[in-house]
Amino acid sequence: MTSAPSTAASMLTPEASRALGEALGDGASVAGLRTSGAAALDRALPSPALDRPWKYVDPAALNLDGFAPPDAASADWGGAQDIEGLEVAGFEEAPEGALARLGGAVAVEDSRLTALHYAFLQGGVLVEAKANAEIAEPVRLTREFTAAGGLATPHTLVVAGPNSRLTLIEEYRSSDEPMAVLPAVELLAGPGAVVSYTSLHRWGARTRVFAEQRAVTEPNSDVRSLSLVTGGRLVKSHITSSLEGRGSSSEIYGLSVGGGDEHTDFYTVQDHVAEDTRSDLLIKSALGDRSRAVYYGLTKVGLGARRADANQENRNLLLSRTAKADSDPVLEILTNDVTRVSHGATAGPVDEEELFYIQSRGLTREGAVGLLVRGFLGEPLDRSGLAEGIRNELSALVETKLQAVGAGA
Amino acid sequence: MTEAPLLEIDALRANVAGNEILTGLNLTVRPGEVHAIMGPNGSGKSTLANTLMGNPRYEVTGGEVRFLGEALDGMAPDERARQGLFLAFQYPVAVPGVTVVNFLRQAVNAVRGEEVPVREFRQELFQKMELLKVDRDFARRYLNDGFSGGEKKRAEMLQLAMLQPRMAVLDETDSGLDIDALRTVADGVNALMNENMGLLLITHYQRLLNYIKPQFVHVLIDGRIVRSGGPELAEELEASGYDAIEAAASTA
Repeated sequence: MTSAPSTAASMLTPEASRALGEALGDGASVAGLRTSGAAALDRALPSPALDRPWKYVDPAALNLDGFAPPDAASADWGGAQDIEGLEVAGFEEAPEGALARLGGAVAVEDSRLTALHYAFLQGGVLVEAKANAEIAEPVRLTREFTAAGGLATPHTLVVAGPNSRLTLIEEYRSSDEPMAVLPAVELLAGPGAVVSYTSLHRWGARTRVFAEQRAVTEPNSDVRSLSLVTGGRLVKSHITSSLEGRGSSSEIYGLSVGGGDEHTDFYTVQDHVAEDTRSDLLIKSALGDRSRAVYYGLTKVGLGARRADANQENRNLLLSRTAKADSDPVLEILTNDVTRVSHGATAGPVDEEELFYIQSRGLTREGAVGLLVRGFLGEPLDRSGLAEGIRNELSALVETKLQAVGAGA
Repeated sequence: MTEAPLLEIDALRANVAGNEILTGLNLTVRPGEVHAIMGPNGSGKSTLANTLMGNPRYEVTGGEVRFLGEALDGMAPDERARQGLFLAFQYPVAVPGVTVVNFLRQAVNAVRGEEVPVREFRQELFQKMELLKVDRDFARRYLNDGFSGGEKKRAEMLQLAMLQPRMAVLDETDSGLDIDALRTVADGVNALMNENMGLLLITHYQRLLNYIKPQFVHVLIDGRIVRSGGPELAEELEASGYDAIEAAASTA
């Protein structure tokens, strides 16, 4: 792990935070969160030695002192602001009414990293579907980062009004300069809302990422998310669904293709709070070269979450002998009245009996490996329920990465 | 019987996990012939099927297998398939994420050595599905993933139908099938069989042979064929069991 560009005194100080807020002309909501963030900058960093979700992270990677406060942030959402029933706006222009909900899902005080995120927040985007709005076309949000040695803090606040439908595809890209990115995504699903959120992590070779994504559901809402990781030195995603509304559901899908020395790390929480809630999770990694995947996930079923239905699955396919996967799904169940709670985890190379079976139908060994790997990764894509055009776009990203890793034809 | 043999197995010996299972097996199959190999548990039935298809877990330690006059030794499973050999698996493997239609298309292209145009492929697929009484939804499901026993065997027959091999080996295709499913599968196999093709049925029970009629029946015990005969041998087995034949064979 390369360390931060400089070991001099941190540039990420409360003064720098205040200066950034003044330069950006924060509105009330952002200003309040920025102040709280600045006040929490002295919190301890997560400890790989003590904090289970951080166990496999190189402690040196957590030190962001040498990074500079965010420069300009680029976010593009095409013509999405003109769609009826939909509001897409940077935090600078967004209505204060909607921004009042900012920070409700990803809290400032979670860790030093979330404190940093809010203290240096820049490039926030609100995506709001009004009540009963059915946004047919997926909304595309593209973010690109190029500042060498810089910290970036993109924030996406998704507010889905009652009975609305919204699909958002957020794409992250960065150059190959050293960079640290602390993205936060808040998904607030109103009663009966159906939200689909996809993040494409196409980070540059020396970007380290600590992402926070949290969905909070109101009654009978459904939130589905997909994370696709095809690049980045270290991409650590914390994905939480808090099922607070009765009859609500969450589906969390993730897939990564690792090459080189890349480290992909998922920490997930399926938090069943209300009655009759349902959650599903499938995260898959295909790992070449010396890459590494870490999965730690918690299914929590609270005392009040009667008749919860939860499934949690993590699968890892090792494409080289030097690749590595650590998988640890955990259940924490406090009620006896559950419909189903299941979990599973596997890590290993391509199965020889599967290879024999496919080869017996005429495909070469290389072709059979290729088919198995693509099938393996195709499952979360299929289950994400995305429209065919986007599904194909994602498959193409996976394909490009697989070719780079040298995984079959 | 003057036609060149499809499959010639000559004093074949094979090991799995260091144990010798096949102990000198001889068999010749010519075009248009249906052979049945019957044997009790542990006699080497599945070892024969896997060895013929080139499963790397099975090691040939002696003898030879020739297919269309060419020695199979050292040939990878995919080369054998492209030569026209097919094995219907007793336990087909589930391949989540790969749909039946996608898999079949890749297999057909590989075996035929050319890209079959999509329209032509689909037409042929639907026709074969109809023949095997397989629902069209089947094509979009992941291969063998969550399939019932009967569905797995039908999927195997669908692959057989699409790949049109010269020689098909059916390993315990009747296991796990109820009588209706067995009849459907057997009708399909009978419809696919032709005078240029050879068929080898590997089975424990005589049941399958009521629906697919072999001209030749062989009894496999302890890794070699101890008796060969016509269809009447299957009936004899059904009546008196493997023990009687084994006893007779060991005193002969």
